[in-house]
Amino acid sequence: MPASVPFTDGDYIGALLDRNGLRPSRYTITKSGKLIMSSEIGVVDIAPEDVKKHGRLEPGKMFLVDMNQGRIIEDEEIKSKIVSERPYQEWLNNTRLHLKDVPYTSETCPIESIDIKTRQRLFNYTFEDIQEVITPMAQDAKEALGSMGTDTPLAVLSDRPQLISNYFKQLFAQVTNPPLDGIREEIVTDISLNLGKDRNIFSITDRQCRKLRIQNPVISNADLEKIRSIDIESFKAETIQILYSKAQGLNGLEDALDSIIVQVEKALAAKTNIIILSDRGVSQELAPIPALLACSFVNHQLNRLRKRSYFDIIIESAEPREPHHFATLFGYGASAVNPYMVNEIIRMQVKEGFIKDMDEQKAVDNFNKAIGKGILKVMNKIGISTLHSYRGSQIFEIVGFNSQFVEKYFPYTASRIEGIGLYEIEKEIDQRYKQAYPNNQIDKNLSLNIGGDYRWRRNGERHLFNPTTISKLQQAVRLSDQDSYDVYAKAINDQAENLMTIRGLFEFDNLDPIPLEEVEDWTEIVKRFKTGAMSYGSISREAHENLAIAMNRIGGKSNSGEGGEDRKRFQKDINGDSRNSAIKQVASGRFGVTSHYLTNAREIQIKMAQGAKPGEGGQLPGYKVLPWIAAARNSTPFVGLISPPPHHDIYSIEDLAQLIFDLKNANREARINVKLVSEVGVGTIAAGVAKAKADVVLISGYDGGTGASPLTSLKHAGLPWELGLAEAQQTLVLNNLRSRIVVECDGQLKTGRDVAIAALLGAEEFGFATAPLVASGCIMMRKCHLNTCPVGIATQDKELRKNFKGTPEHVINFFFYVAEELRLIMAQLGFRTLEEMVGQTHKINSNKAIKHYKAKGLDLSSILYRPAAYREMPVRNTEQQEHNLENVLDFTILKDSHRALYRKEKMNLCYPIKNTNRTVGAIISNEISKIYGHLGLPEDTLNINFTGSAGQSFGAFSAHGLTFILEGNTNDYLGKGLSGAKLIVKKPTKADFIAEDNIIVGNVCLFGAVEGQAYINGIAGERFAVRNSGAIAVVEGVGDHCCEYMTGGKVIVLGKTGRNFAAGMSGGIAYIYDPENKFINGLCNTETIEFEDISNEDAADLKAIIEKHVLYTDSKKGESLLVDWTTSLQKFVKIMPTEYKKALLRLETEEPMFEELTLA
Amino acid sequence: MGKVTGFKEFERQDETYTSVIDRVKNYQEFTVPLSEKEITKQGSRCMDCGIPFCHSSCPLGNLIPDFNHMVHQGEWQKASWILHSTNNFPEFTGRLCPAPCEQACVLGLIEDPVSIENIEKNIVERAFKEGWIKPQLPKNRTTKTIAVIGSGPAGLAAAQQLNRAGHTVTVFERDDEVGGLLRYGIPNFKMEKGIIDRRIVVLKAEGIIFKTNINVGVNYDVKDLKEFDSIVLCGGSTEKRSLPTLGIDADGVVQAMDFLTQQTKVLFGKEVKNQIMATGKDVIVIGGGDTGSDCIGTSNRHGAKSVVNFEIMPKPPGHRSPTTPWPFWPLQLKTSSSHKEGADRNWLINTKEFVKDEQGKLIALKTVNVEWKMVPGQRPELVEITGTEKTWPCDLALLALGFTGPESTLADKLGLKTDARSNYKAEYGKYQTNVPNIFTAGDMRRGQSLIVWAISEGREAARQVDIFLMGKSELPSKDIAGDLVAM
Repeated sequence: MPASVPFTDGDYIGALLDRNGLRPSRYTITKSGKLIMSSEIGVVDIAPEDVKKHGRLEPGKMFLVDMNQGRIIEDEEIKSKIVSERPYQEWLNNTRLHLKDVPYTSETCPIESIDIKTRQRLFNYTFEDIQEVITPMAQDAKEALGSMGTDTPLAVLSDRPQLISNYFKQLFAQVTNPPLDGIREEIVTDISLNLGKDRNIFSITDRQCRKLRIQNPVISNADLEKIRSIDIESFKAETIQILYSKAQGLNGLEDALDSIIVQVEKALAAKTNIIILSDRGVSQELAPIPALLACSFVNHQLNRLRKRSYFDIIIESAEPREPHHFATLFGYGASAVNPYMVNEIIRMQVKEGFIKDMDEQKAVDNFNKAIGKGILKVMNKIGISTLHSYRGSQIFEIVGFNSQFVEKYFPYTASRIEGIGLYEIEKEIDQRYKQAYPNNQIDKNLSLNIGGDYRWRRNGERHLFNPTTISKLQQAVRLSDQDSYDVYAKAINDQAENLMTIRGLFEFDNLDPIPLEEVEDWTEIVKRFKTGAMSYGSISREAHENLAIAMNRIGGKSNSGEGGEDRKRFQKDINGDSRNSAIKQVASGRFGVTSHYLTNAREIQIKMAQGAKPGEGGQLPGYKVLPWIAAARNSTPFVGLISPPPHHDIYSIEDLAQLIFDLKNANREARINVKLVSEVGVGTIAAGVAKAKADVVLISGYDGGTGASPLTSLKHAGLPWELGLAEAQQTLVLNNLRSRIVVECDGQLKTGRDVAIAALLGAEEFGFATAPLVASGCIMMRKCHLNTCPVGIATQDKELRKNFKGTPEHVINFFFYVAEELRLIMAQLGFRTLEEMVGQTHKINSNKAIKHYKAKGLDLSSILYRPAAYREMPVRNTEQQEHNLENVLDFTILKDSHRALYRKEKMNLCYPIKNTNRTVGAIISNEISKIYGHLGLPEDTLNINFTGSAGQSFGAFSAHGLTFILEGNTNDYLGKGLSGAKLIVKKPTKADFIAEDNIIVGNVCLFGAVEGQAYINGIAGERFAVRNSGAIAVVEGVGDHCCEYMTGGKVIVLGKTGRNFAAGMSGGIAYIYDPENKFINGLCNTETIEFEDISNEDAADLKAIIEKHVLYTDSKKGESLLVDWTTSLQKFVKIMPTEYKKALLRLETEEPMFEELTLA
Repeated sequence: MGKVTGFKEFERQDETYTSVIDRVKNYQEFTVPLSEKEITKQGSRCMDCGIPFCHSSCPLGNLIPDFNHMVHQGEWQKASWILHSTNNFPEFTGRLCPAPCEQACVLGLIEDPVSIENIEKNIVERAFKEGWIKPQLPKNRTTKTIAVIGSGPAGLAAAQQLNRAGHTVTVFERDDEVGGLLRYGIPNFKMEKGIIDRRIVVLKAEGIIFKTNINVGVNYDVKDLKEFDSIVLCGGSTEKRSLPTLGIDADGVVQAMDFLTQQTKVLFGKEVKNQIMATGKDVIVIGGGDTGSDCIGTSNRHGAKSVVNFEIMPKPPGHRSPTTPWPFWPLQLKTSSSHKEGADRNWLINTKEFVKDEQGKLIALKTVNVEWKMVPGQRPELVEITGTEKTWPCDLALLALGFTGPESTLADKLGLKTDARSNYKAEYGKYQTNVPNIFTAGDMRRGQSLIVWAISEGREAARQVDIFLMGKSELPSKDIAGDLVAM
């Protein structure tokens, strides 16, 4: 969690920052003996000549003032004092037990009495589990990917038996705290765990270290046997069976659960400190208790008995097979998991040759590794970096358990729509038994269910998009055939017997029919429709432009996605069509986000999360970054691009408000839209978003999503939009915020009925992604991530793109039919306009008789709840947000710079600046972009001298032709999205501190910078030049994670760097002055880069840039380096990303590739 | 799956035929199989679609992507398990099915579809060759007995499934050999009859009782069916359509099915009096369907002087027509192997008169060209084009006009309801007639259709019978909700 914690006891005053440095904390010490610490610089006016030091709190470090001694105690001093008090390292070395040091025993794992096929059926394995989930993980040590979201029923609505993990949905971080990038910021993550009894935390002895350490808590059969038979002082393991008597049914299950607790207590009394809960030994008589149920019950029950700290839990179960299953086990208290059935399956797959080129052991290791990575990803989604803190954290929401059941077995977990309990769970187990033990011997060879979760099959899980709905929809839009649409819509809507979604359980109520003619025209309705954010790059140009043309023709909005947009599309076509996407997305990667791009938006969408994989980033592999894709994204061809899980300029709601403000400055006409994914608490976030002055908030369902995503995230992260939308609507109304913001909804919207439900629950705008793609020809191959889309949509392959047969008319037809279907419903309900419908939940009835044994326990009233506030407060958007732009300094500058802007005359202006002057430069740049496009004005046309402490986002999105010279310092986000301007920040002339020892600019400077220059006469905070894709920057020192995800440009650091330099850096070049070889020996993350010799050409270039730096900033450091350049040069290290190097070579030697548009 | 880019690398390869000159000399199958290596390559063209439309448009619900994958991996036995899990007789469909799956194959959107049917045939042939197809005896026998009437693909499938559920099944066949239309209606050069025999051996070993030469309701009293707990009627759709035209009674105007049946019987040494021969004759085949095509092939093997084919409908387009979009069954010109053996094909032509000489012998056909007048909302109207009358010399006219429905004998005697098209009435998916213990499946229920539909209905009806008798069933079902909803 991002945190800066100040504290004091009267004698000491200090502050501590989180381990990843996600909060700014700046301090100034004056010569007159004052110390000022604040999250921002410039809160108190200090004369420059009085400044002794400008500093910042560093990640994980403590800042302490001893008031009695009257001095600042450095972090190192504090910590070395503490660590040297006792021989901690020695304690660890001598007392801690590593799993690898536990000797293997002769014990072999238990032999099961019944055959594997029967057991597989009993534990609900399907062909798909083996083929699509387990085998790929064992083969590649990576989780398998899928595409196109999920359109299968929620576990509680499915008629096939479900493992109970499937009722749990992972929560994830959005806005209030950032998700974490466990891959690039691996230094802060850890999945190792210590097992054994916890001791009194106040007694500081070496016994505290007496723990069993497991590196990867997914353990093999052999490792489990080691632990089971452990015979080492202070450790004792006991296995407790989690089986119940099948014949006794529900009672048997309840009794068995209670008996487990008794057994655990008994074991604890006998000094056992590792409890192995095992479902081995199943038979026709003894059925397995769901491992998660047993684990959580033991966890909570022993907690209630105040004995939980005496032991740790290991799960030995046939159940877990995908990362989500493991995540739930850890989330409810397990410390290690042995998936023995998966091990058996992997061995079989190796034997039969389905897993190639490795032995069984390697394949099992691979699987365990893949699960380890998967769990890390699940933890990182919510921003947790160690499994130690994730264990027992219960970061899930349940969909479909009743509260009585939850209270007993999964207390403190949100479960909002009630649902099943132990009785139904036993019934599901019974169903599995019926599959496992059929009366007749039929098709013994094909004993497993086909699955059908990821790919449609008859007899498999049901899908909303299936052969009939897809072909009927395509037939409808291609032949303009209403009858086919009706068949399609009926198949989707008619879920009376086929429960699929929550909205399927609703019926319209309180009908008040009016003539259809009185309902507003379809052409009005479709203006509220939008297509989903799909980037150019993830889908082909043909498909992308087709959607844009269609939406522009009907006055709806298409979405650029996060991949930028070809500038040519900003102008209209000769035939009057426009390929310009009305919505421009700003995602965490900031690809192609320039002033000009933003200027051409009608709406700007900040993607906080996406339905398919909320809390995760993405990656476009280098081979897909073809020259034309790279051009739209301002990146280098063939160099892979990473979208980080978090926006590195949003670690809190205040940061989001700042970004909204930045974007509003960058384009005052555009609405700002914040995209959230449904989960418990999204209402509070939506309220925050409304207060942060967003114009639109989008609540996305978990099920949508067209892009590639790990299979686990597709299904198990986030919630259906019905829940999130209802929560957002209710919270916004209750807080009287609803009037200020437009609410949008998306996620598997397919028909007019879907839109009607969304409107009644509180949405006034609607997004569609999959359905318009299907209208354009998508046949749900679910191969988007493989570049082999045969219909030319999700591919960049030139040959395959020729197969794209979609036209704007197809898309328009789709929206026409949806709107017409909606009009019929409106007429039935008695609404003349869609606006009247918004939030009118009394038109929905959820009391429909549900006969399905699992679904009948559901209670949807909380979704339809109308707070009393509904009577006084507006329930829909009625007013505009007040953005308070009028005080922005840019308006003063605009007035003064008329000649420069409109006549390109060189001008010099001067202004004082304060930290309340936020986002200086974006409005001027917006004006420049409007007139001159991306290339802006000639260099140094408008030169502005500022003095003082600049606020956040100084120079954000600043365009070509601007030169800002700031004498003073700035806060965070200097030069965010820099679009060509030159930014100079220098120490005030009057100040006499040493520039290279003092912080001058804040965190996350030059984030997503595209072009331009920055010369910084001092130290920058953390994450300097993150995702820089083209700017040239000189700085005299930086914090951690500098140049992370950088894809282009140049960064020259003349002083110290923090840790994890160049993590995930795939392009651009960095030069570090490293006279003490500190950088090269450990501060740099070398995963994607190499150190390269500096050529003569490089050296000349480097020198020229440093000369400029000296010229602009009077840098003493720069000057000193230039004095003896030959010697200085030898101490520079050049960082070259491996992929970038290859790409440059390829671009130099290969024939240039050109884009040919296959669209007619 | 096996190979992500297989479809981009390999082209479709079909099995080839021996030359026309060679194959018309006999009545043997004339396909030339592909090599095993080539078949596995063909399997890799399968794209493992997120939604396999092939699987949905197959009336049996064959798990096509799954067996393709196994073939690509060289796992033939597993492929055979998968194939047999949904299809009792892939050796029939692998030869004779018009393959709606291939028409719905996603690859067919952009290039030639996966050669699904040929892969199917190769899997089952391999399975027979390796001896993997063994009788599967039920673990337990129930006390229930079932009569299946008709031994075509529907009857055989129903019988095998019911037997697997443990019931005792007797199959009645009115002809002298089992197989229904497969036996004598399909020429031997399309499917050699040993293919049926080798499957019947398995069915008999599984315990199914076959009674031939028993025509229930004719030489077997329907009262005797009382001894059975349930009856499944799979009598097919066998009423032949005629042409109510002047001179239809001429000597030399023959029903195609009689012509084909005689030829196959003769081939197997059965006694046939006065076999209708096309040798040396001007043959006109009326009807452009599959039976018509079989008549062309048989006539050429007889050594006809000329073979002409008439079809009253317009010539279909060479490519899929926009009115029958993918993945639905296309209106499209089909050229069969028999067509390639020589036939003059004519469309939009109507026979006005069969001209006979004094002895009543057919000597010519008088025809007129026609067109179809389309009025929206009305049935298309046939209009003759004046001045296009033509006389064709002809001494053998074969009527291949399809079937109008099942024979009514059993319905009458058992008191069963029929529908407007004279089919035996039973709801799709339920197969139960108005007499509770009598079920019906295949062409008898749905009217003339494909073998694959017959097998499918037989399987599904068996499950319904099992549920009727036992209250529940573990027999597999294809999940009819997965059927691709037609136009």
